[in-house]
Amino acid sequence: MGLGGALAQTSGCPARPSSNSVVKNPPELTARNGVLKVDLTLRSREMLEQALKVCYVYEASSGPAEAPTLRLDPGDQIELALTDRFTYFRHHTQPPAPSPAPHDPCAGGTTATTSTNIDFHGLHIPPDCHQGEVSVTTIENTDPAFAYKFQISKDHPPGMYWYHPFRQGSATLQLNGGASGVLIVSGMEKAKPEVAGLPERILIVRQQFDDDDPEAWPPGEYRLSLNFQPAFYPHLPSPVIQMKPGVKEFWRVANATAQAFLALQVVFGKTAQPVRLVALDGVPVRKSVDLRMIELPPGGRAEFIVTGPAVGQGARLMQTEVETGRTGSENPPQELAKIVATADAQEPPALDGAPSRPAESGWAGRADVMLAEGRATAVRKLYFAEATNGTNGPTRFFLTVEGQTPKVFNPSGPPAVVTKVGALEDWIVANHSGEVHTFHMHRMHFLFLEVNGKKLANPELRDTVTVPAWEGIGPYPTVKLRMDFRDPRTAGTFVFHCQILHHAEAGMMAKIQVNP
Amino acid sequence: MQRNDTLKLSAILPAAAAVAMLGIAAWAAGARDGVHFLVTNDDAATVFPPSTVSFYAIAADGSLASPTRVSTGGNGIAGGYFGAARVLVAPSGLDACVYASNAQSENIAGIDARTHKLAGPFRGSVPDHKLARNGIGLAVSSSHLYASFSGSGNIGAFQIQPGCTLQFMGDLHAQGLNGGLAEGMAIHGNMMVVAYGDGSIESFDISGGMPVSNGDAQHSTGSRNDYFPDAVDITRDGRYAIFGSGSTAAAVEVSDISSGKLTPTAVYTLGTAWNSGSVRLSPDESVLYVSNNSGGRVTAAFFDKTTGQVRQGCTSSPLKGFYAEFTYIGAVATELATGMGGLLYVPEFSTEKTSYIGVLRFLSTGTGCTLTETTHSPFAGSPASALLSIGVYPPRPF
Repeated sequence: MGLGGALAQTSGCPARPSSNSVVKNPPELTARNGVLKVDLTLRSREMLEQALKVCYVYEASSGPAEAPTLRLDPGDQIELALTDRFTYFRHHTQPPAPSPAPHDPCAGGTTATTSTNIDFHGLHIPPDCHQGEVSVTTIENTDPAFAYKFQISKDHPPGMYWYHPFRQGSATLQLNGGASGVLIVSGMEKAKPEVAGLPERILIVRQQFDDDDPEAWPPGEYRLSLNFQPAFYPHLPSPVIQMKPGVKEFWRVANATAQAFLALQVVFGKTAQPVRLVALDGVPVRKSVDLRMIELPPGGRAEFIVTGPAVGQGARLMQTEVETGRTGSENPPQELAKIVATADAQEPPALDGAPSRPAESGWAGRADVMLAEGRATAVRKLYFAEATNGTNGPTRFFLTVEGQTPKVFNPSGPPAVVTKVGALEDWIVANHSGEVHTFHMHRMHFLFLEVNGKKLANPELRDTVTVPAWEGIGPYPTVKLRMDFRDPRTAGTFVFHCQILHHAEAGMMAKIQVNP
Repeated sequence: MQRNDTLKLSAILPAAAAVAMLGIAAWAAGARDGVHFLVTNDDAATVFPPSTVSFYAIAADGSLASPTRVSTGGNGIAGGYFGAARVLVAPSGLDACVYASNAQSENIAGIDARTHKLAGPFRGSVPDHKLARNGIGLAVSSSHLYASFSGSGNIGAFQIQPGCTLQFMGDLHAQGLNGGLAEGMAIHGNMMVVAYGDGSIESFDISGGMPVSNGDAQHSTGSRNDYFPDAVDITRDGRYAIFGSGSTAAAVEVSDISSGKLTPTAVYTLGTAWNSGSVRLSPDESVLYVSNNSGGRVTAAFFDKTTGQVRQGCTSSPLKGFYAEFTYIGAVATELATGMGGLLYVPEFSTEKTSYIGVLRFLSTGTGCTLTETTHSPFAGSPASALLSIGVYPPRPF
């Protein structure tokens, strides 16, 4: 079969683990002499009557491996060469005609399902092509390897970030196929000594749909996976997390789904256990806290300490049901893994150092206390809204500055927000629709201050937050976010959007221009 | 666009003329005998039992009595385009028939409104046998019924025959300038106007039965911003086509079609109520009733049928049960076929248990107006119903 039609590729992706095997950390690549070099190929594999598989493959010493964890120290440089060899065309679509001229990915390209790029979600990197630019950069599956090259700043917050496709027309499809991985900026044990020396468990929650058609309603069966192991209990046995009884582990969890809202619980018997939250969205929290539920919108990350159950004690990692609004997608409860305590459990590798007393501040670069107390130089109001032709769509999605005309995002359109270096702004983001949305800002964190006008007890730096759904009557729900443009490195033009990826693809995105 | 004629017109047209003549007498008798009912396409998606239409008697005070449910002989799809009419009462001059689409079964039922006898259901072409997950919209002239199959993207043409039966004539594949499919359709004389929901609109010549494009496909003026026409209605004299738009706010657009072709639309914004994907002229053409489909409200605007200009009127509060019992509303139908139409009935869409029919009272105050839900509103629909389309008999006289 040629490129036309849904191409079946039999060896495109490495085999993925079965549902009930022991959960292992993803393969890992670390920087050497300050540089992390990796060659990734985006590939696809279509399975009969199963979800499409999409993978970031690299050549490990043991053969092709998928979705490596990229680990860097602050100050390190990453040199990532991405080759797009994704071949799947959505049913009833045709491949674009090949361009006779050499293609420049920095100048854009097609919105075919075969096009791609990478968003390094949450990293503080410049919004330029070959770095953090995502709204124009387009790598076609006939292009040579495309080079990403950037440095993790020396004052970058330590924590978990992630990478995924973000090209309009293909992002949701490719992410739902499994194309994602995490990136860890080292140093958490310095910011939070309580995690030093603990076994470090990396868990990536992904989501797959059987049907790739965005117009299909209802969509294919909702499925979550944990490190690529289907979490579909009771239809399939659950993934197994082995822990040593009563031993603490440091869990780093990424919500790498396109649209699932996670509310995670570690449950012993029927009781949710306290876990100690130490970082959110890649930033150490101001003060570690014990929580019985960790809420993560699509794109969010949480890092927390879990104590293993006793031998023989029934324990599970649960996704509890999250209400997504009257017109939101289903977000049902799901057992993600069984936690089995055994003395000979093979623990994941430990972080450096030995656990020590919790530190209150940790990361030297944190500025959220000062941010919370500073005076905003401007207040902006924005809102999420939808226009739909019917109960099943099609729907146009908007993220609009109040007073402007709602427009679906146009990469070549003007910025919705223009500000300048030095500004400290409060953004009040409302939701005019009946489903939840997630606000995500590229290249910088913001301080999450309020929900519906109520101040949060512990404002934290985030890069992705949930904006609650409107309930049909009464005022629109809002979140208040403090944006800090005082760092000269924030200059440039970049995007903010709903992190529910098909919303962003359908227009729920806007540009900000920060002038020097 | 491609055309798939499957039956020669010449064999049908003489028979159609005769049928129309016979029908006029039957319809006139119906209007005189005081029959007054509201009919819903229940659009139930369950395979067993089949979907139904529900006939409600309308009491003198406008209240609705317990319905009589009549099988459509097929299955609905529980939703779809706001601008598509899933049930139609045949226009005056024809038999008292109700036509209802079965989107999951991809066919059309004809039901005698007096005997409740089912005719059909009637199928289109083989390509039309594709799941119409956004519904099948209907429009009817004095001799033909047109069905927009959202599965195939075709507009199917059917000859109306005695006993509420239909004879399939052929298909026209109709697609908007941005790939949209026919959502709202309205007919005046030999002209059918279509809204594609993708920002574009087009009209067709249906004088020969099969639709033939008038070559006037165009983007609506409002599509430059946020307004994408979904629904359409046409004035009694055929001078203006009025489009309701899918939008984050409320807006209508008006095109002068007196030349027999669409002209650039004028946009009228009607406030911030969410969405305006259904629009309906009052019987006297003085008022436009606009469903704020996503916001659970109804907006009324004043219409000047001489100039085609629209003046902002009023918007109701969210109807009782919005986001608790129902999620969307469909197109308004008026209680009466005269004046401003009396009470307004509006389908309240839910797929959880049952849908409802909201009832509102419109009052013009000269310079302004009020739209208020009645004390007894809403009325529960049939079990498992998913209401987006309702009709009233006797029908509006145009």
